[in-house]
Amino acid sequence: MKRVHRILAALIVLVVIAATAYGVISRNGVAKGEAENKIVVVSPHPIEFMKPLVSEFEAQTGITVEVIRCGTSEAVSRIQDGEKIDVLWGGSVLSVGSYEDLFLPYTTENEKSFYSEYRNAGNALTCFTDVPSILMVNTDLLGDMEIDGYEDLLSPALAGKIAYASPVKSSSSFEHLTNMLYAMGDGDPDKGWDYVEKFTTQLSGKLLESSSDVYQGVASGKFVVGLTFEEAAITMLKGGKHVKVVYMEEGVVSTPDGIYINKNAENPDGAAAFVDFMTDVDTQHYIATDLGRRSVREDVNSSALVKAKEDIRLLQVDKDKVLKDRSEWVDKFMSYMGEDGNE
Amino acid sequence: MSKDIKSFQDNIRRTFILFSLTPVIAIVFTAILLFIFTWSAYMAETTREDSKSIAGDVDIILDTYYAMLTDVEFVVSTADIDVEKVRDRVFSILYSRTSDFDDIGNLMIMSPEKRALFTSKNSVPECLTGEEYDNWGIWNRIKTHPNETRTVLYGGNLYVVRGVFRGSDLKYAIIYSVPPQVIANVINNKNRYCILTDLGGWVYLNNTQGLTDEFGQINSLLEGNTGYARIGGQKYICYETSVAKGLRVYTFSDINRSTRMIIILVVIVAVIFCAIIFITYRSTATSSEVYTRDVKKIEDAFEAVQQGNLDVSLSIDSSKEFQTIGNDFNEMLDGLKKQIEQNRELAQNAAFSQVKQLESQFNPHFLFNTLDNIRFMAKIDAASADKMIVSLSGLLRYSIRETREEVTVGEDLQHLQFYLNILQIRFNKRFAYSINVSEDINDCLIPKLLLQPLLENAVKYGFGEKEKLTVRINGYQHQERLIFICEDDGVGIDEDVLEELKHSIQNPDTQPAHFGLYNIHQRIRLMYNGDYGLDIWSKKGEGTTVRLTLPKRVEKNVQSFDSRG
Repeated sequence: MKRVHRILAALIVLVVIAATAYGVISRNGVAKGEAENKIVVVSPHPIEFMKPLVSEFEAQTGITVEVIRCGTSEAVSRIQDGEKIDVLWGGSVLSVGSYEDLFLPYTTENEKSFYSEYRNAGNALTCFTDVPSILMVNTDLLGDMEIDGYEDLLSPALAGKIAYASPVKSSSSFEHLTNMLYAMGDGDPDKGWDYVEKFTTQLSGKLLESSSDVYQGVASGKFVVGLTFEEAAITMLKGGKHVKVVYMEEGVVSTPDGIYINKNAENPDGAAAFVDFMTDVDTQHYIATDLGRRSVREDVNSSALVKAKEDIRLLQVDKDKVLKDRSEWVDKFMSYMGEDGNE
Repeated sequence: MSKDIKSFQDNIRRTFILFSLTPVIAIVFTAILLFIFTWSAYMAETTREDSKSIAGDVDIILDTYYAMLTDVEFVVSTADIDVEKVRDRVFSILYSRTSDFDDIGNLMIMSPEKRALFTSKNSVPECLTGEEYDNWGIWNRIKTHPNETRTVLYGGNLYVVRGVFRGSDLKYAIIYSVPPQVIANVINNKNRYCILTDLGGWVYLNNTQGLTDEFGQINSLLEGNTGYARIGGQKYICYETSVAKGLRVYTFSDINRSTRMIIILVVIVAVIFCAIIFITYRSTATSSEVYTRDVKKIEDAFEAVQQGNLDVSLSIDSSKEFQTIGNDFNEMLDGLKKQIEQNRELAQNAAFSQVKQLESQFNPHFLFNTLDNIRFMAKIDAASADKMIVSLSGLLRYSIRETREEVTVGEDLQHLQFYLNILQIRFNKRFAYSINVSEDINDCLIPKLLLQPLLENAVKYGFGEKEKLTVRINGYQHQERLIFICEDDGVGIDEDVLEELKHSIQNPDTQPAHFGLYNIHQRIRLMYNGDYGLDIWSKKGEGTTVRLTLPKRVEKNVQSFDSRG
């Protein structure tokens, strides 16, 4: 028995030595280099859009950015759920505006250089870029059809081939819904529902999950036309996709999207630096020139790829009314879709 | 220890398992543990070494480029930024510095207005000329770090840049676009998973898959981390080294296959050992039984001997030692049996001769008394004398001629009559007797002349001063025994004499003074084993009672001392 005990003891000693040695080695090895200065950004922007901006922000400020990609409403609910998020980057001022109390009041000094309509969007709202709603058309699948505006979407040939995200989930889709109501109601959104009803039947019950499904769906050929925003289409265009941008002849609503600092941000200084950086003249210049978005700054010219504002039939919306009626409109739209879905 | 004492077989079995199996299992698993440990240590070490080595190589390359930029600055500055004039010299610096590499790369000298003053490849990337890049990307780095050589990763390309300032004014910038192949070669030489990133984790070179996120940044789990990483179910050993010039080198060992192999190995070994344990457990049960069968045999043999069976023998031929033990045991047992046989024979002989001697002992006393009586009778009463002589001769004939040791009760009573006749004549009216022996024991066997000494004893001690003596002899069967009781109404025996009598009867070694009773007792004891013999009671003035107890035996088994085995 003694010998057995000795063997067992030796074995235990060996195991302990091995374990401690391994522990020492791996502890020496794993030096957790947690970046001290870090912000968490939640954003519905396309990756290709964010990548150079985040990269440059990190390089210039030394602040590490962790990006979580998701639709605007999901981003808002994540913030409501108390997730560790510093900045919501993106989402139209119209749709996020109704959640203004979730965000930290902050006014960047860059706001002085903004076009007047983009100043004072709200205490906690900072305009980032101007994003007109547009139609994105896959030129390979278009054929002989002509799509110049909303009216053309009712063509029977396009039934089931229209990419549209749920306005509940995507702010750009809600922009389009607003745009439709104003454009097809001739400035009175309440008169636009006849068109919306016809439009919903054209979707054949298909509502996509997020705005990225829309432009990627069109670019990949799953859909012929998508209701999306200008910058996504420009990014696709620059990426060599066979798509084109159509500014609706009935009128285009152009609402700015924004940057919003979470009220409960863990790194409000980093978040403020992020807002400052994104509205900085150099950044806005780069965005306008290379990323296909329209700047909110007076001192930045638009890209050659986008149609000049003067050439677009811009529609003015009653911001307060849109904010007030938002949920009612969405419910009404979804009820049309629901009836459709039941058929 | 108060544990139960285990059987030899259990001990053997436990020993098998404990001393053969346990050390093997222990050693194998220790070996596996050591193997895993050294293997992981080795993997970590090679990963670390390669990381350091790649970082070192990259550092040397960047050093070369940094030195080149310094050289170019010196040349251009001495020429007062008239680049055209020193074009040849710039080229010669470029060629001499990059002679070790396949590609001279694109060296550019840019004016602050983003105009190319010099390019080695006649092209300038858009990120240096576009007006939106005025303070963006590379230009931003140049302008924020005056007179500093920097490494900038932009748009997937690596640039070594230096802005030359006079005071706070940028005079010109030297920008060298590092040919990707130069640093890729360093990594490829190592044949190892490697990712090169800038300080922000943006990937420059990557020969792996799945370790970067959708942004082209290194997986945040790995960023700034060293050691064991698990990404999407894949396991890596990771090591990170910073290059002084703003790059980081990550090297990885993919340990998925190896860990899987180790797990398979461990499982196989475990299964093998389970099988071995199972088989050993089963086989030791039988083998230990086989090996201890001889011990069991020996144990059984001893047990049998202990219970009196000497007819056992041990036949063992499985192993020499046990064979010797078995043979010795057999020999010993044979010797023992022989010894016992001899002893028994000796005892029988002794008993036989003793019985013979005892039988013959009554004769002289009796003869003397009787002949003396006959002498008187011959004078007084010739007829009685004649009867006495006839009785005496009958008695003597019985005693001498009857060679059998045992006779039936009937026969013995018959011949007892001779003795009674003699007593009757001798004492005449002073002596009375009654014999009451149940008929059914008439055929039972008893030693010859059993009852005669009782009468002799009664006469010897009974008369004393008494005028008349009556003796009653009763014989009957009680259970499997024969009981004979001889009562007299004589004077009884003195207490001290009685004690002496009893004592001499019980101890055969003492020289008895009272032959009659002693003889009977000894004969019964010698002829029959068991609780048989003679008891005597006596009370002064009331009489004496002698009781004989002996086994009931019938004619069939005539003549056997040892019929009881």
